Amino acid sequence: MKEKGFLTGLGRFLRGVGAAHRERAVALTRLEVRELENIFALLIMGSFIGLPAPPTFLAVELLPFMEREMRVVQRRAEDSCDMMAEMMGALGID
Amino acid sequence: MRVVFFTGKGGVGKSTLAAAAARQLSRRHRVLLVSLDPAHNIGDIFGIDLAGGRRRLDGNLTLAEVDLGTMAREYLEGQSRALADTYRYLTTLNLERYFSVLKYSPGIEEYALLTSIERTVREGGDLDYVLFDTPPTGLTLRFLALPQVTTTWIERLAAIRRQILEKRYTIGKITKEDGRTAGVRLAFDEDEDEIMRRLKTLRENYGALSALLRGEGTAMVLVCNPDLLSLRESRRLVDGFADLGLPLRLVVLNKVPSRDAAVAAEVEERLREMAGRDKRFLRVPLDEEIAGGRRPLYEIDAELEDFFVF
Repeated sequence: MKEKGFLTGLGRFLRGVGAAHRERAVALTRLEVRELENIFALLIMGSFIGLPAPPTFLAVELLPFMEREMRVVQRRAEDSCDMMAEMMGALGID
Repeated sequence: MRVVFFTGKGGVGKSTLAAAAARQLSRRHRVLLVSLDPAHNIGDIFGIDLAGGRRRLDGNLTLAEVDLGTMAREYLEGQSRALADTYRYLTTLNLERYFSVLKYSPGIEEYALLTSIERTVREGGDLDYVLFDTPPTGLTLRFLALPQVTTTWIERLAAIRRQILEKRYTIGKITKEDGRTAGVRLAFDEDEDEIMRRLKTLRENYGALSALLRGEGTAMVLVCNPDLLSLRESRRLVDGFADLGLPLRLVVLNKVPSRDAAVAAEVEERLREMAGRDKRFLRVPLDEEIAGGRRPLYEIDAELEDFFVF
C-alpha cells in the first residue's frame, strides 16, 4: 500500500518536472506570441495611437473578435514603464 | 454583364453622357444607371425625383441613386451589433454613441461606395449593362484603389495572424495543452480562428471586387472638356488607372464648341497621347439646344451604342 502511494507520488513528481521543463522550453515562444498579438492589435488599432492604420472599416470588421488582443495591448502598456524588468524576466535573469 | 464607370473632372458632363448612353443602350439592352456622386443629378436629368432610391424608367432602363450616408450608417449599425454581441459586458457603455463618431472616419465613404458597387453588380444578374456615374476624381480614385490597398493590408495581417497560430500550435504540442490559457481555449487552427476566418472572407470579397474592376467586362470611360484644366485632371485619372491596372476603354472629348477649334484640337491631341493611341476616342460637339435647355440633356446628338461594345 505504502509502495503504491510512493510510486504515485513519484509519478506525479516526475510529471511535474516534465511539465516544468516543457514550460521553460516554451517560455520564449509564449513571449513571442504575446508580442505578435500586441503588434497585430497595434496595427489594427493604429489610428487610435497615431500609427498609419489600415482602412477604418477593416479595423471595424476585426474589432469584434479582438478581445484577447486588446487585453494583451493593455497589459503591455501597463508594463511598459519598466521595460528593463520585462526584458530581464524574459531572459530568465533574476 | 458589362460594367462601365464614367469618370472625369466635375462638370465635364459625366452624368449627361452616362444618361445618354443609358438611354441609347436601353433600346436593345437591359440597363441600370447608378449615380455614385453624393451630389446626385441623374434624377434631375430625367426630370424625376429618385430621392436616393431606385426607379424603373421604362421597360429596359432603371435609374438608381446611392445614398452613401444611409449605406455607411447601415454598415456601422451592423458592426455595432456584432461588437455588442461580443462585448456583452460592455453594453452598459454607450457603444452606439461611439459608432456614431466612426461615420466621420476617413475611408467609410469610400467603403460605402465600394459596397454599393459590389452589391449592385451581385444583384444585377439579369442586366446587360450597369453604368456608374462617379463622384469627382479624388474620391473616385480613392475608392477604386481601395480593393488593392485593403488586400495588401489583409495579406500582411493574415501573415502575422498565421505566425501567432503556428506558435500557439507549437506551445500546445510541447506542453500538451489544448491551447487553454487561463481557462480560455485559444484557437490555433486557421479554420477555427475567428480573426483568420474573417480575414480570409474579406480577402475573397476584395479579390473578387478587384477582379471585377480589372476584368474584361469592365470599362472606364474618361470624359474631358476641351480646356486645360480638365485635361490636367484627366492626366491624374489616366495615371491612376494605369497604377491600379484598371481598363480605360473610351475617351470622350465632350462639349466641343464650334469656335476655338485650335484649343479643342490641341486638347484632343494631348488627350490621345496621354491615354494611348489604341484607345477608342469620341468627340461630342457642344449642343446649343441642350445647353439652352430646349432639349432633354440625355438626347445628345451622338451615336454612343457602338462605343460600349467591348
